Amino acid sequence: MNPFKKLLESSEKHFTESGRFHSLEPLFDTIKTIFLFPSPRNKQVPFVRDNLDLKRYMSFVLLSLIPVLIFGIYNTGFQAGLARGETYTVFRSFLTGSRYVLPIILVTYGVGFFWETLFASLRNHKISEGLLVTGLLFPLTLPATIPLWQVALGISFGVVIGKEVFGGTGRNILNPALTGRAFLFFSYPLSMSGDVWVAAKTTVDGVSSATALSIMAPEGERLATLLSDSGFTLSNLFFGFVPGSIGETSALCCLLGAAFLIITRIANFRIIIGGIAGLILTATIFYLIPGGSHTWSDAGPLYHLCAGGFLFGISFMATDPVSAPGTNPGRWIFGGLIGFLTVTIRVVNPAFVEGAMLAILFMNVFASLLDHIVIKYTASKRIPNV
Amino acid sequence: MMKHISLSKGFKTLLSGMPDLSCVQIPEPETIAVSAMDIPYIRPRLLVKKNAPVKTGTPLFCDKRNPCIVYVSPGTGTVQQIVFGERRRLKEVVIALEKKEAFIRFEPLSSNSLDSVPRTTLIQQLQKGGLWQCFREFPSKDTADEAHAPPMIIVSLNGNDPFSPHPQVVLENETKAFDFGINLLNRFSKRVIVTSRQDSLERLNGVNPHITHTVPDFYPAWDPGVVLYQLKKTQEENRSWCISAEHLLLVATFLLTGTYPVKRVVTVTRSTDKRPHIITRQGAPVNHLVGDLDDTSLITTGLFNGRSVDPQSHLGFFETTLTILPDPQTEEFLGFLHPGMTRPTVSKTFLSCLTRAPKTLDCNLHGEERACINCGYCTKICPVDLAPNFIMKALLSDDIEDALSYGLLDCCRCGLCAYTCPSKIELTNILSHGMDAHYKDKE
Repeated sequence: MNPFKKLLESSEKHFTESGRFHSLEPLFDTIKTIFLFPSPRNKQVPFVRDNLDLKRYMSFVLLSLIPVLIFGIYNTGFQAGLARGETYTVFRSFLTGSRYVLPIILVTYGVGFFWETLFASLRNHKISEGLLVTGLLFPLTLPATIPLWQVALGISFGVVIGKEVFGGTGRNILNPALTGRAFLFFSYPLSMSGDVWVAAKTTVDGVSSATALSIMAPEGERLATLLSDSGFTLSNLFFGFVPGSIGETSALCCLLGAAFLIITRIANFRIIIGGIAGLILTATIFYLIPGGSHTWSDAGPLYHLCAGGFLFGISFMATDPVSAPGTNPGRWIFGGLIGFLTVTIRVVNPAFVEGAMLAILFMNVFASLLDHIVIKYTASKRIPNV
Repeated sequence: MMKHISLSKGFKTLLSGMPDLSCVQIPEPETIAVSAMDIPYIRPRLLVKKNAPVKTGTPLFCDKRNPCIVYVSPGTGTVQQIVFGERRRLKEVVIALEKKEAFIRFEPLSSNSLDSVPRTTLIQQLQKGGLWQCFREFPSKDTADEAHAPPMIIVSLNGNDPFSPHPQVVLENETKAFDFGINLLNRFSKRVIVTSRQDSLERLNGVNPHITHTVPDFYPAWDPGVVLYQLKKTQEENRSWCISAEHLLLVATFLLTGTYPVKRVVTVTRSTDKRPHIITRQGAPVNHLVGDLDDTSLITTGLFNGRSVDPQSHLGFFETTLTILPDPQTEEFLGFLHPGMTRPTVSKTFLSCLTRAPKTLDCNLHGEERACINCGYCTKICPVDLAPNFIMKALLSDDIEDALSYGLLDCCRCGLCAYTCPSKIELTNILSHGMDAHYKDKE
C-alpha cells in the first residue's frame, strides 16, 4: 500500500467527529482528496459520470499560468538588474526574481488557506478548489516589491469580502483575486499604481520605473515615439521585458496561457476573442479620432493590446466562469465591453492608468444582468411548454 | 420520404461493449415478475394475493389513478411473492412459472378488419390486455390519456440506451405486425413519426417505408423527447404521444392473436464483452440474464437514464437492456492529475479526447460534489437546448414559473447534464424532481 495512504488513514481518526482536531476536518479532507482522488459509487441516475472534476478543472488554470509565472519570476530579476545598471544572467535573474515572487505566493496561499479553512470549518463544508486559482492569480497581479503585509491584507479582503461573504466559490459576484487587487490599488496607491518600484529597491535607493501605461507625452509630441524612446517598444511589450506587475508584462505568455485554456475548453473562447476584438475596435476608433496625439488615444490597437494587464486580465480573470456570464451571447458582450472599457478608461480617465482591472470588475457586476437578458430572450423564442 | 433531423449536441464518445447482432434464446427462467419500479407515477393496487394461480394475461395490479390500466402476468403459474420496498411501496410481483402455459384470450383482429373496429373498442381491448401503457404522453411521459387525440405519435426504433436492442433483431420477421401497428397508430393520430438511427437504417428493409425521419448516431438523438423538440411547431404538440418499436409490436401482436405476447429481446452489455442479443420472457430475473457476477459491478437498465437493479430483481415492462458497469473502487494517488489516455470524457482535459478508441464507462462519481461554477458544460451537451444550470438554480429557489419558461418540461431526462457536470451536481435528478412535482401538482 502507498505509504502516504497509510499515513492519511492512520491520522484520519483525529479529524473525525470525536477526534482532537475535529474543527480542522475540512483541511484534512482537502489534503486527503488532493492525494487520494475520491471516487465514490454513484447513487443517483445517471450511474456513469464524466472523468472531469473541479480539481482537474482548476488545476488546468494553474497549468496555463505556468508560462506567465516563470517569465514573471525571470523578468522581476531582470528588471532589478536593469535598475542597478547591470544585465543579469538568466540564472541570476531567476534567483533574484524568486526571492521577491515566491514569498508573495507563499503568503497568498498561506493566508488564503487560513480564511478558506476557517470558513469551511465554521460552515461545515469542503474547501473549494477555487482558492488554488485565486491564490496564484492574485500574486501575479501585484508588483514584485509590494510589502508582504499588504499581500496578506489584499488576499484576506479578496477571499473574505470577494467570495466568502457571498457563500464561497461559485456564489461570488466579483472575481476574488481582482477584488483583492482593487482593494490594494485604492488603499495603497503608492505601492500599486503606475509607478511600479522595480525589485531593486533594497539595493539601490529610490529607483523607480514607470510602466508603459503611465507614460504621457508632452503636448506636441507623439506618444508612440516617446514609448519607444523609454524602452517600451512594441516587441519589448510583446515579449514582456518591461517593468510592471509580476504576471502581466508578457503578452506572449498570456497568449500562450489563453491558447491552452481555449484548446482545453476550460476558458470560454468567446470572452477572450470578444475582449480582444472589443479592445482593438475601440483603440482603432480612438486612434482615428483626431487630436490627443500625446495621450494613449494615439497608441493604436497593438500598444493597447500589449501594454498593461489587459491580456492577463482577459485570459485569466475575465474567463473565471463564476463571475462571467453563463450564456454565449452574454459572453461575447461581456468580453467586448471589457475591451471597450479598458481602452476608454486608459484614454479618457487619466486618474487610472490601468483600465483592465476596473473594466473586468465592472463587467463582473453586469454579468448576471447580461445572463438575465439573454435567458429571457431565448426563453421567449422557445415554444412554450407549461 | 425520409427526412433527416440534424442535431449537434449529445454524447459522441465511442463506447466499448456494443452487443453483437446475433441472437440467442435462453432457457425459461424459474420465476418471472412484473416490476412496478420502472412505471412512472404509478400508484399500484394489487389485484392478486400470494399463492394465487395466474394465467398469462391475468391482471396482477392496476393503477389507482385509472383502474382500467392493468399490468398483467407474462407467464402462467402461481404468485410466489409480492415484494414491497420502503414505506410499503410495491416493488414487484413474482410468479413461479409452470411448464404448461394457459392464456387469457381476447377476440383477435385481422389486418383487414382494423378499420371497422371503433377506436374505443381498440383502446378498451388494449387496456384489458395490459398493453395500453405502451403509449406514453408528453411532457411527463405518463401513461397516455385515452380521451385525448394526440397531435403526433412518435415511434422510436432504437430504445432508451446506446446499447438497446438493434431494431433489426427486434423487427426480424415481424414486418406484418409492424405494418398493422402503424395502421393502428394512424387510427389514433393524424401524424405518425417513425425515427431510426442512421446506422441501423440499411438493415431494416421491411420497415424502411414506414420510417419518416432519420436521426444522428449519437445518444440521445433517437429519444422521442428529443425528436419531439426538434419537430414541434406549436404548443399543442407538447402533448404528443410516443411508443417504442418493440412495444408497438407487442400491441400489434396482441391485437392480431388475442393473447398477451411474452417474448422480449434484451441486450446485456459489458465493456469487455460482445454479447449476443437475448430472446427471453418479459420480466426475467436479472441474474438469469446477466449470469454470475463475482465482483461489485453495478447493473443498470441504461447507461444514462436507467435505474440500478439488484441481481435478484426482475427486468421491468419498459426495460430492454442491462448494462454492467465496473466499479474500480480505488482512490488513485493524485488521480486528478492523471493524463488519462483511456478515460472517457466529453471535455478536452484528458488525452483520451485525441483518440477514437472505444472507451469504458464505470459507475464512479470521479470527484466530489461542489457548488455550480457556471462552466456551461451542461448547456453545451443538452440535446433540447436547455440551460440545466440556470433551471437548477430556479428550481432550488422554488421558482417553478421561471424554470417552466426556460423549458423545463422539454427535458427528456437523458442524464447527460449530470453526466458531464464537473461539479458533480445531480442536475438530472433535480430537473426530474422539478418536472415530477409540477406534474403531480397539476394532476
